Amino acid sequence: MFRDYISLAIKSLSKRKLRTYLTMIGIFIGIAAVVALIGLGEGLRTAITSQFGFLGTDILSVQAASVGFAGPPGAGAPNPLSDELAKKIEGINNVEMAFNRYIATATIEFRDKQKIEFVISVVSGENRRAFERMLNLKMQEGRMLTDRDTKGILLGDNYLKGSTYGATFDRPIHSGDKVLINGKQFDVVGIIEKKGSFIFDDAVWMNDDVMINEGIRDDDGTVDILGIKVKDASKIEQTQQDVEKLLRKERDAKEGEEDFTVQTPQKALESLNSTLFAVQLFVTIIAIISLLVGGIGIMNTMYTSVLERTKEIGIMKSIGARNSTIFTLFAIESGFLGLVGGIIGIIIGLTLAYGLAFIGGLALGSELIQAHVSLGLILGSLAFSFILGTTFGVLPAIRASKLNPVDALRGAK
Amino acid sequence: MKIIKLEEIKYALQNLRQRKMRSFLSILSILIGIAAVFALVSFGMGIKDYVDTLAEESGTNKLLIQAKGIGAPGTDDTFALTQEDVDFIEKINGIDEISGMYYKISEVTFRDKNKYAYMMGLNIDKIDFIMQGMNIDMEKGRELRKGDTYKVVLGYNYMLDNKVFSKGLQIGDKILIDGAKFEVVGFYSAVGNPSDDSQVYITSEIFEQIYPEKKNKYSMIMASTEQGLKTKTVADRVSERLRKYKGQEEGKEDFYVQTFEDAIATFSTIINIINGVLVLIAMVSVVVASVNIMNTMYTSVLERTKEIGVMKAVGARNSDIMFIFLLESGAIGLIGGIIGVMLGYLVATTGGSYAAAAGFSALKPIFPLTLILGCILFAFLVGAGSGVLPAIRASKLKPVDSLRYE
Repeated sequence: MFRDYISLAIKSLSKRKLRTYLTMIGIFIGIAAVVALIGLGEGLRTAITSQFGFLGTDILSVQAASVGFAGPPGAGAPNPLSDELAKKIEGINNVEMAFNRYIATATIEFRDKQKIEFVISVVSGENRRAFERMLNLKMQEGRMLTDRDTKGILLGDNYLKGSTYGATFDRPIHSGDKVLINGKQFDVVGIIEKKGSFIFDDAVWMNDDVMINEGIRDDDGTVDILGIKVKDASKIEQTQQDVEKLLRKERDAKEGEEDFTVQTPQKALESLNSTLFAVQLFVTIIAIISLLVGGIGIMNTMYTSVLERTKEIGIMKSIGARNSTIFTLFAIESGFLGLVGGIIGIIIGLTLAYGLAFIGGLALGSELIQAHVSLGLILGSLAFSFILGTTFGVLPAIRASKLNPVDALRGAK
Repeated sequence: MKIIKLEEIKYALQNLRQRKMRSFLSILSILIGIAAVFALVSFGMGIKDYVDTLAEESGTNKLLIQAKGIGAPGTDDTFALTQEDVDFIEKINGIDEISGMYYKISEVTFRDKNKYAYMMGLNIDKIDFIMQGMNIDMEKGRELRKGDTYKVVLGYNYMLDNKVFSKGLQIGDKILIDGAKFEVVGFYSAVGNPSDDSQVYITSEIFEQIYPEKKNKYSMIMASTEQGLKTKTVADRVSERLRKYKGQEEGKEDFYVQTFEDAIATFSTIINIINGVLVLIAMVSVVVASVNIMNTMYTSVLERTKEIGVMKAVGARNSDIMFIFLLESGAIGLIGGIIGVMLGYLVATTGGSYAAAAGFSALKPIFPLTLILGCILFAFLVGAGSGVLPAIRASKLKPVDSLRYE
């Protein structure tokens, strides 16, 4: 029975090839645009959010409050965190270790080419191993830093290419090379494996005490971020509250008016993620307008189809077809238009997304342009295009099903 | 040859009326796309207009010297400019007025609520110059003046309820800035974005007093050039001389010089690209609409095969038939365009008022006549263009075959 419906629908669609093609073009252009845009947007979002390094479930980070999006973490905070807090935080139950992190900017010079970059601190002393594990630091050249490296630095992966986002050096920088940082000479002891993040892959890494001693960062008793590793990840919320309580006491802040934030890295990403999501949503909505237009096209085609087949409907009714049968017949036809349009659209959209990502990656040399089309997106668009087709076919199908058999046989309009 | 084909026009419109539902749907499909394009372009033009006025009113003879760094001004003072730099630049040929500007992020407290905002420390002697450059006027109260101690002028948003603080501030209110008590003496006019409109302004003397560690570390220097000189030439000269003065090699400067025009041009380019991409995406729906119109017209040709045959049999030429069908599809485009522009106007003004309520009053759509007429003409051309292929098919029908068509 159901097979008859489908073969009937396909037959009547293939009878009017041109019209069917044009209607489907309307749908697949829209679906292709939506799939490509969402795919590229997802890719961009994943690429941006992956810039932020460690994302363990057993980590908390503390920052002093500041204006949003002002720059690197801790930048310009009016009331920065004291470097004595880490010791006190380590006294809290369930805290395995707490450490000070510094982020500074400095000039890096190699063979007369100079640029300004981030210098990120590496925890020295007994917590070094744990820190390296936490950030999942692995070397592709040379070795890790040790406490004895008062003149040693690590570089991110981009220096191996000889060019970072800000500048191009004469040739790749390898371990064993010497570079000038703020005019002072340092030895590159190792190159870190690619992190896929321009913040990390462009950065200079240095022991925290060296950063202070060499004046890369001011020795003013403040830190930019406090990192905390907890023992039991399942109790991280309790620990977070304990840390907040301690900081409120230390910094003399009332509850609800804290001038600092204690967050898991995931939480910190959420606000950025929601901003990016809003942008993506806006773009998608504009693209979806074209699907609406495509849907109107289906409706138009179906109305025409009903009109043309008035006589046919009359015959079907007079030999016993019920209203519901006629309705189903037309609904399947329009749903089919949507579905096939959707399938073609997805194929074109996938090609477009990955093609654009590939070309964009080549042209800009940036890892930010990626496509990420999930199975959910594919199935979602497929379901959406089918539903779109059926929905816009409902009104024409109702009109068809309600035709009076006698009038229909006479071909009255 | 007839110049005005009144009969044909009447006939085409009559056909559209006869197939009300189909014409309505075709018009609907194009008007949606046109409305989206119209609204997006009106915002893009509004921003361009805003930027142009900004450039004009701040003066094209201004240049900015900024310390390099990562992040917003005032957040990173690894590199800074000093008063000595200012004095040196002032003596360079072609420089008229000049002032260093302090930037910092500070904690603003009002009625026990803390907020974080950018603060500027202003040189009192140069205040008119700086405010002209930033294109800000007084909204209420007075400007900072010589001898002011703990006085502060606030950005526009502080006047409003539920913007920075839940209650708007008044002249004479006391606020704490990084713990120091200040009296509010004035408010600046709206700039049009939440960040600038939440800034606080104090005198450079007090700034240096409260933050001695920031003394003589300007984030930015604003300068103007003498009349009749090319700003770019002076900017290059400043860049060159300051580099030598600071003993830095080319390519290794810890500062950069930018003319206002360059800065604004960079900004407009970015805005234009974003807007262009959005318009392009909205265009997809116009393309789909055009396919719809084409479809409608093919159907129309099919249905009227017999009619076409009759017309041809009584002497209609190919060109007449073609004209009728082109006119029909053009009319669909034209009507869709007119309604689309109206709908787009509604969408854009609603969106603009939402943006203004959110503090982005710079995001204001404008509706020049060229945009309105351009969109309508575009819709007409899309309609007529989509009708070309069906119209050709109609015009090429053989009279005998079409008369036989069932």
